[in-house]
Amino acid sequence: MKNVQDSPGYQIIVDWMHEKGQKPFDFQLQTWNQYHNGYSGMVVAPTGFGKTFSVFLAVVIDYLNQPEVYKKGMKLLWVSPLRSLAKDLAKAMTIAVEEIGLDWEVEVRNGDTPQKDRRRQERLMPDVLLTTPETLHILFTQKNNSRFFKTLNCIAIDEWHELLGSKRGVLTELAVSRLLTLSPRLQIYGITATIGNLDEAQKVLIPYEHIKTKRIVAKEKKKIEIVTVLPDEIEVLPWAGHMGVKMAAKIIPIIYENNTTLIFTNTRNQSEIWYQQILKIEPDLAGQIAIHHGSIDAELRNWIEDAISDGLLRAVVCTSSLDLGVDFKPVDCVIQIGSPKGIARFMQRAGRSGHSPYETSKIYFVPTHSLELIEAAALKQAVKDKRIEAREPMVLTFDVLIQYMVSLAVGEGFNETELFTAIQKVHAFHYMTEEDWHWALHFITEGGNTLKSYEEYHKVIIDDEDGLYKVKSRRIAMLHRMNIGAIVSDAMLKVKFFSGGYIGMVEEYFISKLKPNDHFILAGRVLEIVTIKDMTVLVKRSKRKSAITPSWLGGRLPLSSYLSHYLREKLSESLHPKTTEKELKFLYPLISQQEKHSHIPKKDEFLIELIETKDGHHVFMYPFEGRLVHEVMAALIAYRLSLIKPLTFTIAMNDYGFELLSDQSIPIDEHSIKTILSKENLMEDVIGSINASEMASRKFRDIAVISGLVVQSQPGNRKNNKSLQSSSGLIFRVLEDYEPQNLLLRQAYTEVFNQQLEEVRLKEAFERISKSKLILKFAKSFTPLSFPIKVDSLRQSLTSEDLDARIRRIRDDVMKEIQI
Amino acid sequence: MTIITKDITVRHTIFTLTNQRALYWKEHETLVVSDLHIGKTAHFRKAGIAIPSAVLDSDLHRLQTLIDHFVVRHILIVGDLFHAENNTDIDQFQRFMQANSSVSFELIKGNHDRFKDAFYQTMNIAVFKTHKDIDEVRFVHDEQHCDADMFCISGHTHPGVTIKGRGKVFIKLPCFEVSEQRLILPAFSEFTGLNTKRTVDYAVCYGFTAKSLFAL
Repeated sequence: MKNVQDSPGYQIIVDWMHEKGQKPFDFQLQTWNQYHNGYSGMVVAPTGFGKTFSVFLAVVIDYLNQPEVYKKGMKLLWVSPLRSLAKDLAKAMTIAVEEIGLDWEVEVRNGDTPQKDRRRQERLMPDVLLTTPETLHILFTQKNNSRFFKTLNCIAIDEWHELLGSKRGVLTELAVSRLLTLSPRLQIYGITATIGNLDEAQKVLIPYEHIKTKRIVAKEKKKIEIVTVLPDEIEVLPWAGHMGVKMAAKIIPIIYENNTTLIFTNTRNQSEIWYQQILKIEPDLAGQIAIHHGSIDAELRNWIEDAISDGLLRAVVCTSSLDLGVDFKPVDCVIQIGSPKGIARFMQRAGRSGHSPYETSKIYFVPTHSLELIEAAALKQAVKDKRIEAREPMVLTFDVLIQYMVSLAVGEGFNETELFTAIQKVHAFHYMTEEDWHWALHFITEGGNTLKSYEEYHKVIIDDEDGLYKVKSRRIAMLHRMNIGAIVSDAMLKVKFFSGGYIGMVEEYFISKLKPNDHFILAGRVLEIVTIKDMTVLVKRSKRKSAITPSWLGGRLPLSSYLSHYLREKLSESLHPKTTEKELKFLYPLISQQEKHSHIPKKDEFLIELIETKDGHHVFMYPFEGRLVHEVMAALIAYRLSLIKPLTFTIAMNDYGFELLSDQSIPIDEHSIKTILSKENLMEDVIGSINASEMASRKFRDIAVISGLVVQSQPGNRKNNKSLQSSSGLIFRVLEDYEPQNLLLRQAYTEVFNQQLEEVRLKEAFERISKSKLILKFAKSFTPLSFPIKVDSLRQSLTSEDLDARIRRIRDDVMKEIQI
Repeated sequence: MTIITKDITVRHTIFTLTNQRALYWKEHETLVVSDLHIGKTAHFRKAGIAIPSAVLDSDLHRLQTLIDHFVVRHILIVGDLFHAENNTDIDQFQRFMQANSSVSFELIKGNHDRFKDAFYQTMNIAVFKTHKDIDEVRFVHDEQHCDADMFCISGHTHPGVTIKGRGKVFIKLPCFEVSEQRLILPAFSEFTGLNTKRTVDYAVCYGFTAKSLFAL
């Protein structure tokens, strides 16, 4: 092996670093060496240790050593999941390039890039291009796009752990596959934080046997200190809910103790509410705190990010929008509001503070309801045990495949056999059969199986001259370009001031419930609706102090399986907490109430509660497996019960358990419960229950958009293609009736199976339940464990005011009974 | 296919509601339908969205069954007969009309019906720009052409109704929305969404399924 340290390029870089008082970390040196020797691979390092410069400088060194090998045009393609990330990285790279004395151009390309810059890039690509997976795929739809990539030497996938596990990851895999055919000596690098399945992560990104790979793992570790913020008394914490604003006063002193604090919330809605609440309690913070989430105007977000970097803000209330990104040097404190739902996410957020390599990251955990105190204890244990979740890659996502095939057809066209050979090597499509492939080809050319029923459908046609699959219609090409990507959101409307100025976006669903002159809050401002037109909400500033906050659908993540394991453990210990576990000790009054009126399930027990109210008959079960798995389990249990007796249920769930509610009595007793919770015929019954529910139809929503069956209207776009609007639910129904063998439909069911239902996790759960002692309790009223499920299920239909009143009433009921 | 009917009397006139998305006025041997959106699936296909044309087959089959069942003489379409441009779906509809040459077709133009009147005339469809009055009843596409003194039958909104049961059960069904002044027809085409917002709060909704029809 050649040693990079003997090369002149290495010397130049080390001298440059030396001038700045720095020297390379071991893992950076390793990466340079490996790149120098022609390897591809994956770099695993925590944030704040210069992982960008591991791969970036590796290419620079190689260029300095042998500039003659590099051609004019794009040399390094940097793919990152976030637009904002690219901008800051480009800045850092440009400074480096200038100081080193290279004549390289470093540029960003994404949806925000002005038209004239794009045209210039298309004439001659910069030496380093930073982009997102979506923008890369849009580049593939350009005429003669292969010339952009012929000169490419290296592709780096930044924050690969964020992309892996989603369809954006599949987009990335496909992009790598195409770039390899255009530039066969391409070196591929993934850059990732620590996750539970590093081997797999690398294999997914680089499944190519002819490419030599190695993994570099930084030895540098971040120290994390976790502090749980407790209220003065347990009564302050509500039993349920996920806003937790009552705790806001507790974090004011924390904000003042530190220079800059990032306050992470779990939803955009929650961030707006917390922002309002903090200002209400501490008006002096006005002008020193900001709010940052994905629905706020990009320019405003950029301004906030710059202000954090410059140390101008004391605190920023944010969502996962700031999970990733460049290091904000001034941030020395992180507050997590409510459960982060996963260990990896919690650690990632903690890592946003104390950015110099050897500083300790400090994170405060603020519970939003009482039971989250158990989660706090579980998180601490998990971080101590260094158990980090795996990110499971997605496979056989035909929607993404179809989108990619059409992208290529819009661009330069593709050859059937060549593409099939290439696709089969992509990890996500290893197990695609030839039959599936032909279906996909058929789908984009003929529309479906029965030729006659898809007359006039000529999305992709085979060119008579060269035999390539191409899109000839300009309209179809335009619609396709607009639709590229794997992030599906609800129809969004732009929010603009009547007098001019863009504020952000809200879901159509939310606005549809409001009228002109109604008030709502966005980006921390109270706004009054003036009028709504062309997918734009025109507003004016309002003097009112309060208004409703939009709820953006989605966003609430389910509990990870690793964390749920710790949660069960901590709950079972909660009656006898260790002296060090102040969270559990604090929670004791509530735990003892649960024990008194029902039961605290031990590790080897499974609790079922039966409660009767005027709403009907409730069954509560607590598998602690996360919301999505609970949805499947609830449907399954309902299905099994309905075999005993015809019944109609409604289902509610949270991360701890689920509820079945029926207007008739539910046939559960000591005898029947064993069969109902049996692990026998598990998957057969699950299939039966899924067919009967709407889960597949809901999954189909994303699939329909990604595969181009549903045209998304663009916010603020005048041309909203009204005559092409239809709901995915409608298409799902039509396909079920007329084209049941459609692979995209089948994919919807498979996705329910693989992700939502997490077959393995479900089997393990039933395995565990079958070994557990079943504890059946009849409670007179809602218990501390059942209450949160009950309340969460109310959320959809009631306004916040009524909900609070209702919660108070139910809670008073319970308390009254306890006093008796 | 089961045709379930229910007669309702408004201003001394008897209308027959069916669970097949159509209304029959026996006195005039007229079948009233709305929002057929013929050409919608082909319009989607042309834009590269694969929707099978069997949807139209099934819509037309239903219409045929209704014609045969009631021995219909006239079909009155209260708007949105054609969804968009001239395409193969419209050819298929033309063949359907030829097969039913004894039935007259009349159309009150809806917001989707953008062809010139001559186009409909060559197809043998009589066209009314805004409304048609028969006795005390006015037929329109949407409410702006209703007359305060007349009973108004329209389409356009694709009315649907949500049934809420105890224990929070939700079921969404298409429906006829009937009030003192107005009757709104469900969309005839199956490839349409449902709008559960009421135009008038006190309206009675007649929801239906493949086997039943009931007031809500």
